[in-house]
Amino acid sequence: MANGWAPFIGAIVVAIFCAAAWFLAPKGENQTTWRSTLVLSAVSMYIMWLITFLAQLHPLITPYRPGLRPEH
Amino acid sequence: MEKVGVPMRSIYDFNNPFTSPSASEIDELADKSQSLENRIASLNESYETLKRREVELTEWRWVLREAGGFFDRARGQTEEIRHSLDNDDAPLLQDVEHHGEGEAAAAADRSFSVMNIGFVAGVIPRERIAAFERILWRTLRGNLYMNQSEIPEPIINPENNEEVSKNVFIIFAHGKEIIAKIRKISESLGADLYSVDENSELRRDQIREVNTRLSDLASVLRNTKSTLDAELTAIGRNLAAWMVIIKKEKATYETLNKFSYDHQRKTLIAEAWAPTNSLGLIKSTLSDVNDRAGLSVPTIVNQIKTSKTPPTYFKTNRFTLGFQTIIDAYGTIKYREVNPALPAIVTFPFMFAVMFGDFGHGLILLLAAVAMIYFENKLLRSKLDELFGMIFYGRYIVFMMGIFSMYTGLIYCDAFSLELPLFKSMWEWDTNDKGELGPNSHRIDGYTYPFGLDWRWHGTDNDLLFSNSYKMKLSILLGWCHMTFSLMWSLVNARYFKTPIDIWGNFVPGMIFFQSIFGYLSFSIVYKWIIDWNARGQSPPSLLNMLIYMFLQPGTLEPGTAPLYKGQATLQMILLMMALICVPVMLFLKPWYLRREHNKARAMGYRGIGESTRVSALDDDEDEGHANGGRQSFGDDDDGVAMITQDIGHGEEHEEFDFGEVMIHQVIHTIEFCLNCVSHTASYLRLWALSLAHQRLSIVLWDMTMKIGFGFTGFVGSIIMVCIFFGWFMLTVFVLCIMEGTSAMLHSLRLHWVEAMSKHFMGDGVPFEPFSFKTLLEEDPVE
Repeated sequence: MANGWAPFIGAIVVAIFCAAAWFLAPKGENQTTWRSTLVLSAVSMYIMWLITFLAQLHPLITPYRPGLRPEH
Repeated sequence: MEKVGVPMRSIYDFNNPFTSPSASEIDELADKSQSLENRIASLNESYETLKRREVELTEWRWVLREAGGFFDRARGQTEEIRHSLDNDDAPLLQDVEHHGEGEAAAAADRSFSVMNIGFVAGVIPRERIAAFERILWRTLRGNLYMNQSEIPEPIINPENNEEVSKNVFIIFAHGKEIIAKIRKISESLGADLYSVDENSELRRDQIREVNTRLSDLASVLRNTKSTLDAELTAIGRNLAAWMVIIKKEKATYETLNKFSYDHQRKTLIAEAWAPTNSLGLIKSTLSDVNDRAGLSVPTIVNQIKTSKTPPTYFKTNRFTLGFQTIIDAYGTIKYREVNPALPAIVTFPFMFAVMFGDFGHGLILLLAAVAMIYFENKLLRSKLDELFGMIFYGRYIVFMMGIFSMYTGLIYCDAFSLELPLFKSMWEWDTNDKGELGPNSHRIDGYTYPFGLDWRWHGTDNDLLFSNSYKMKLSILLGWCHMTFSLMWSLVNARYFKTPIDIWGNFVPGMIFFQSIFGYLSFSIVYKWIIDWNARGQSPPSLLNMLIYMFLQPGTLEPGTAPLYKGQATLQMILLMMALICVPVMLFLKPWYLRREHNKARAMGYRGIGESTRVSALDDDEDEGHANGGRQSFGDDDDGVAMITQDIGHGEEHEEFDFGEVMIHQVIHTIEFCLNCVSHTASYLRLWALSLAHQRLSIVLWDMTMKIGFGFTGFVGSIIMVCIFFGWFMLTVFVLCIMEGTSAMLHSLRLHWVEAMSKHFMGDGVPFEPFSFKTLLEEDPVE
């Protein structure tokens, strides 16, 4: 499902979203605010997700939990 | 008005308090207040006279009553005295005995005049009674008989509404002169004397008369008071509006006083700053006013060319106001400089959310913010206490914080410290020999958890090991992104202000320095992540040691470790060299360039006003002073601002070029920049520390309350559960959301003010202070 290509797919999605935000932002004196807020939000959320994803791409340690109940 | 305590209506009851008053309104107001004042004054006067009459009558009544008591008591004594005086006057005595009680009293009274004893009766304030007695005793050498009693109810002085308790006194003495003396003394001590008749019947008549007059007076008084009250309430209803109108008018005239008068052309001239894009609006408004006033002479608007720096003005709306306030609290943005508030709309709440990441807590914030925004208009009008008022002011900040906290909560996979199993976990528990699960786990091949942290880490023994490593690197990477982003704004500023030396002397070497060390660190972090070290069969090198060796022994790697990639040592060597070369470039290029420009201008014979190099030299000085950022440069800040304001006052905008000063500024800037690269990167680790603290605290809270609560069962258990839930929720809101939220917000604020804004912020602007009725009324509200 999610493999090494995911960051690039995510980047494309975010790029499309940013383009949409840029062109579909409501016209008027608040257009700049709309554009910058939407684009910057999308980018920072993407970066956060990307970092988390990459950190788990090849983890060096595995979860260790003694005393598990059977159904867990 | 205050004396009576009539309440005023709040100004918000009027439909539109912020419109400008018309001229007729003011005249009308003046007439109205004049007539009202007269009416109120006359009413007040008559009320006071009546009140005084009433007080006098009351006092008289008391005197009569008390004096009557004295006479009755004194009667017995007089009889004795009389016995001793005229012993053989038996028929009269018999006569008294024959004619009942009233006659006896009358006879006794009459006997005073027989004995030539006069008396004075009156009322005196209680605190003066001792002095009064002493003076009387001394002047009359004890030749008097004084009786007094307290009036139980306090008498109200009508002039100042004070309560005074008074005593009634009656003094008997011999001889006309002595009586006159007593009268004088008592009047000088502020006593009010009243005539009391010796005859008890006459006295009774007097009392009756006084009583009827009193009751008449009381009814008149009541009428007067009710008219007065009605009048005052009518005024109170409109007073706030009138005060607002007066305040507006006063401010308008104050502004008009600033206009200068042209004697030759007989016109008033106003010079003011105005936003360029509202010039059209200004012109149309002025012509509108002209038309309405029917003036023959039109108002002319001209744009003036000036070398002064205009004040900084950013148009804000309800959404951006809070963010702009955050930035303005640090310093006023230089005119036409990049406004850091625009990116801060996202980065400020986002940095907050990285520290506050919890889906549940974010939801609470978001709901609170949505509620505040929904009831915005109602809350705007009501008076809020200081703390809530502050939160309400930043409601849109809280709104953004809530959204981003929910997002980072999803990334951290935390909701009230519990896991959120949204997707299939990438880990499966091993089964051991006995068929039990755990403690080890293995990874599902080729599958990475798609969104956020894997929830299976929750509650494991090595949870902290993993999440600490992850969050630490997350902080470094986010810090690198944020600082690079901020550094880019200095390029934008330099391009806008057309100072290429700032690009080549500050931005480029700074950027290379930063990227070759911390950009490389970020690259290594990501590179280390995307290499499958298990598949390679290697143990990955420690990045911290790598960085240390990069500085301590350039060209070598940590002994006994495999390189991250081929040619690592050489690349690190090159990067380090690049960083080192950038330092002298940053140090000398700009001062040298400025000096050359200055000398060139001198050589061409430019002197005095309008030297471009001088202006740019000034700009650069300021730039250095402020680009340093941090607390160390606050001193510079003040100087800069002071200088600019002075410039506006005198209209001079150049100073002597001083190479030494420029050099010192540049040295400080270089040292600060290089050291700050290190310290600011480390400073972003607060993102990790605070998010760790927040997560741990919410886990502890959950374990100490709700987890224990789940241990109880049955009916009692459910009641205990409700109580525990209540306690848990309260603690969540107050400790985790409000307290922790405040601390995360302050840290985010610091990251913006210090770490980000020091990279590009000049901040030597002067705030634009437009004349506005609204701010006028907000600053000085009508109570």
